[in-house]
Amino acid sequence: MKKLSNLSEIKLPKVQAPCAYPATLHGRNFTFRDLKHLLGAADISKAGDRNAKLAADDEVMREAARAILSDLTLQHFFDNPLTNHKNEIDSVMRVNYDIDHAVFAELSHLTLGELKDHLLNTTGERMAQIGAALTGVMVAALTKLLDTHELILLAKKLKGIAVTKARTTIGSQGTLSSRLQPNHPTDDLNGMSFLVYTGLSMGAGDAIIGLNPAIDTVANIGTCLRHLDKLRRETGAPTQICVLSHIKTQLTCLDDGAPVEVLFQSLAGTESTLTDEFDVTVELLDNAYNIMQNKGALKDIAENFMYFETGQGSEYSYNKHDGMDMTTTEALCYGLARRYSPLMVNNVTGFIGPETHYDNHEMIFSNLQDHFMGKLMGLPMGMAPCYTLHSQVTIEGQQMATQLLTAAGANFFMDVYLGTDRMLAYFDTSGNDDQTLRETQNLKPAPEYLAWAVQRGIFAEDAAGNVTRGTNWGKPQIFCESEPAFQRLQEAVPAYYGGKNAGPRPANSVSRTLKANQAIGREAIYADLRIKELGDIKFRTLQTAATDKRAHLNNPELGAKLSGIDKLTIENNDVQIVVSDGLSAEAVHHNIPDLLPVLLDGLNSRDLKIGQPILAPLGRVKLAESINQVLQNKLTILLIGERPGGDALASRSLSAYFAYMLDESTQKIAAQFSGNASIQYEYSVISNIYAGGLLPIEAGSVIAEKAFDILQHKAAGNRLESMT
Amino acid sequence: MSQNRTLLLGLDFGSTTCSALIARKAIASTKKLSTPQIIYRATPVFTPFLGDHIDANEIAKLIQTWLDESEIKVTELFAASGIITGLAAQKKNSEIIRQCIIKQIPSISIVAADDPHLESWLAFMGSCAALSRFHAETPILNLDIGGGTTNSAMGENGNVVATGCHFIGARHFQFVPGSYQLCEISKYGKALLESFAIQKTIGETLNEKERAQLIGFYIKALEAIVQNNQAFFDSSIASMHLQAACLLPLRAMPKITFSGGVGEVVYQLAAGATAPTTTYFGDFGIDLAQAIAASPVLSADLKSYVPENQGRATVVGLALNSTEVSGSSIYLPSPDLLPLQDLPILAKLAFDAPKQDWQQALRLASLRANGACLQMTQLPQNLQQIRAFAQMLSAEIGTSHFKKPLVLLIEGNLGKTLGNYITNWGNLGIQLIVIDEVASRDAHFVNLGKLQQGIIPVSFYGMYSS
Repeated sequence: MKKLSNLSEIKLPKVQAPCAYPATLHGRNFTFRDLKHLLGAADISKAGDRNAKLAADDEVMREAARAILSDLTLQHFFDNPLTNHKNEIDSVMRVNYDIDHAVFAELSHLTLGELKDHLLNTTGERMAQIGAALTGVMVAALTKLLDTHELILLAKKLKGIAVTKARTTIGSQGTLSSRLQPNHPTDDLNGMSFLVYTGLSMGAGDAIIGLNPAIDTVANIGTCLRHLDKLRRETGAPTQICVLSHIKTQLTCLDDGAPVEVLFQSLAGTESTLTDEFDVTVELLDNAYNIMQNKGALKDIAENFMYFETGQGSEYSYNKHDGMDMTTTEALCYGLARRYSPLMVNNVTGFIGPETHYDNHEMIFSNLQDHFMGKLMGLPMGMAPCYTLHSQVTIEGQQMATQLLTAAGANFFMDVYLGTDRMLAYFDTSGNDDQTLRETQNLKPAPEYLAWAVQRGIFAEDAAGNVTRGTNWGKPQIFCESEPAFQRLQEAVPAYYGGKNAGPRPANSVSRTLKANQAIGREAIYADLRIKELGDIKFRTLQTAATDKRAHLNNPELGAKLSGIDKLTIENNDVQIVVSDGLSAEAVHHNIPDLLPVLLDGLNSRDLKIGQPILAPLGRVKLAESINQVLQNKLTILLIGERPGGDALASRSLSAYFAYMLDESTQKIAAQFSGNASIQYEYSVISNIYAGGLLPIEAGSVIAEKAFDILQHKAAGNRLESMT
Repeated sequence: MSQNRTLLLGLDFGSTTCSALIARKAIASTKKLSTPQIIYRATPVFTPFLGDHIDANEIAKLIQTWLDESEIKVTELFAASGIITGLAAQKKNSEIIRQCIIKQIPSISIVAADDPHLESWLAFMGSCAALSRFHAETPILNLDIGGGTTNSAMGENGNVVATGCHFIGARHFQFVPGSYQLCEISKYGKALLESFAIQKTIGETLNEKERAQLIGFYIKALEAIVQNNQAFFDSSIASMHLQAACLLPLRAMPKITFSGGVGEVVYQLAAGATAPTTTYFGDFGIDLAQAIAASPVLSADLKSYVPENQGRATVVGLALNSTEVSGSSIYLPSPDLLPLQDLPILAKLAFDAPKQDWQQALRLASLRANGACLQMTQLPQNLQQIRAFAQMLSAEIGTSHFKKPLVLLIEGNLGKTLGNYITNWGNLGIQLIVIDEVASRDAHFVNLGKLQQGIIPVSFYGMYSS
């Protein structure tokens, strides 16, 4: 295991004044005002870069940028570090300069175009040496010159080089591993067991069994870790476990004696995102690495014990990208990750939504870029091409991405049962997908795991080493002591759909249910609000700054602002109801006609001044504050459609947000309670209003009573809960 | 997470043995309980009798031992249920046990004496509920055979559809262990001896032929139950052994499972275990188990349909299933009204039942000194129906002079809205409680626990087969 280099000894260039990059292409003149803009323009057009005003206006401009990049030397990139908003080299960029200077000296004179050609002509081993001599910015710049074939070909040459080892060996030639992700919306241990058994029975989880917990407390993380450890021991599966909470929480669990085998952390490509949003510093990561090296549960077994997740767009989505495009900040993540020789890096590009990746093309290409960049920088890249229903990314696009990434030599994919995450409401690869990829591209699980799975009848292996599905493949019952025990576990899992398979794929009946649910979810998002379906309520209609559905989905801030604010005046009502489609117009259509009359009956039973209900299409939660800036009502109740997930009924789920405007006297108390001196509103929320949750006709009463409580106690949110 | 976990306790005092079980369930975001995790199972011990009378001191010690062993505090319990059956439920004994339990666990809901349908239901839920859901299309008939009775219950997809009870059990004849020398005979045993003209009494030993006659009767009776042969119980001796007929729906022949002390031995034998020595338990339990295992009718499914918790089925059913959990949006303006114990369920009515039926039910309810409960079997489907029903009920309540709580139990998720409309949003001046999301049960009484984390425990007793 390697010793970390001293951060202060990393050789850094002096910060230079930004220089412009002019170019002429076929009679058109372009000037890119600095290296950040040049890099942004050289990439394919992606939503996040378009929103950040970094993408090229058109293809000619993009090719002009690529032409300039091709002629810049590696030394130029070394000498011109991309700085943060204070014009300083941040800690993430600093770590990126921790390179093999001897190899860099051999290469520094090469232009980026020459480097590209050299890589295409050389071996994987030499590529790995070169990768260790490059910063993230250099790698990102190179990547912008590569087409799909080149991204796959070059990454493929690196297969078998970034091999890592804990209980299992991940990333060897001829293997494809998976992370089994048994997420459950309430961290139900039985549900977790069922999903682990199901994944193992499909030959999944040889890279890791890794849970995203619903509740990030030390007590709960410890419970989940111990439960996963118990399942691992009982099944005998040779793999490792992880619960993906904050690094500090995991270290506290380790101190408490919990089996922290692999330490997880999300990384970012700018220090401001890493520190302000993820609450992590490079120093903390260094400290965590050293603790795991000395005290981690696998310290005597594993050569690698860190697990990182990254994905294009997180820096943009937090508006902390320091003017850099998404590919570049992603490459900077890898420059940070390689410092710790991780067991796994999982890339979740596509997770955020249409504000970063609008469609299949953007998502697929970004995934191929990320995989290549990570591999070139020596990382054991696993890929999770994923999507949410409010983007234009589809299951077909995701499956194309997985086939291409498998061809490129990805180390592992995810196993989310049937591809629908029951906790995070997004869509990822499944155990069925992983097995399909193994069969279509002739790959096997990690060798240690394969031996165990053959023994359990999950796989069969003939004398020639050919591996096929065994008689127990897809039969989680083999891990249960009885049929009732299996039944009890199964009943703890939502969206189960019967568990039938056809070959490595889900049975057609299961696929039809899954796809139908997704179709309902998308319909809910893309449907326009139809006022005629909202009953006899007389609304007044207001417009948000989102001019159309696409703008609304791609830029969350537009729906939080009211357009035509000058048409409103102060009303000083006790209660104002606002209805908006948010991310599901169908949630409004299916709930408001039953809910609103009950709510109004309830409010009218008290001596309250109530404003005429407002309908505001294409809104977001913070719209309540924008409206109330003018109306100055005590309480605004925003009834808004939630982001659909994989359950058809839940795609019609509505929430009620209560925005209580603090007055002079309550503001002081609220500020003291929250620690936020400038607090203006307190919020309560009632969610899951739909036919399968809180029925709308019942929700009307529940919301009315909550409003009475808020007005009576002059408080909302946690302060209200502490008083009642 | 820990603050959202609940503890459920079950205590079972029977003719032969008594035991305790504690389970933990988490409250999910829907405010429903998740699948349980059993955290304590007491080893069943013989119910402490001094002759025909219960030994109060030993009972108190037992309860304390169970609480100590489980390391839980009584105040941590979300729901606690006790059942007293057979000899232990005879009037004086029952009261002694009840007092002992209440002294240590004041919040407990206790069911005593004759509730054969409830016992059958509990045994099925404790042994076969998950198995039945696994084989959702297959009816399963469970025979819970204990010391004094066989409690039968048939279920489909986890729901009990028929229950019955017969005085067929291991301890109607008690022997000196290791022999067939009689030392106790119940009144049912005496009648059976008489019917076979076996003139043996206490102190004498039953021979092989006599034992075969007696056990043979029990086997035929059990076969008659599973084959839905009600005519078998027409003879005077058989009808004496019938407490409540188990009328099976006319469908496919159910798969047969067993629970209770005898049931546990049946499965041990089926798994190839050697039978305990002659009358090891001092009764006919081992002989009955062997005869069941030898009966083609009764033993057909022993290896293919194996229930859980065989010997502890009742106490498991009691701890895990006797308590329902309300929905989280109940109408309960004054939580201080709870707990409410022994509320009679006076009527089961649909919302659109004739007005005079609701009038009569409300009149009866208004006369009850400690409050009363009405079950609604069918709910209004839209706001128009809710408003109309609430208006009708509100008017009737206004004329009935309610001084004690009136509880409406409903299956759907409509408690708060229904309550608000009936009371005109709290302006009616009646102590109305509407408990929602509770499955309808055929029962005469209901206990409502205290409000905890937004939900309340609801338990039924005095069950009947409709």
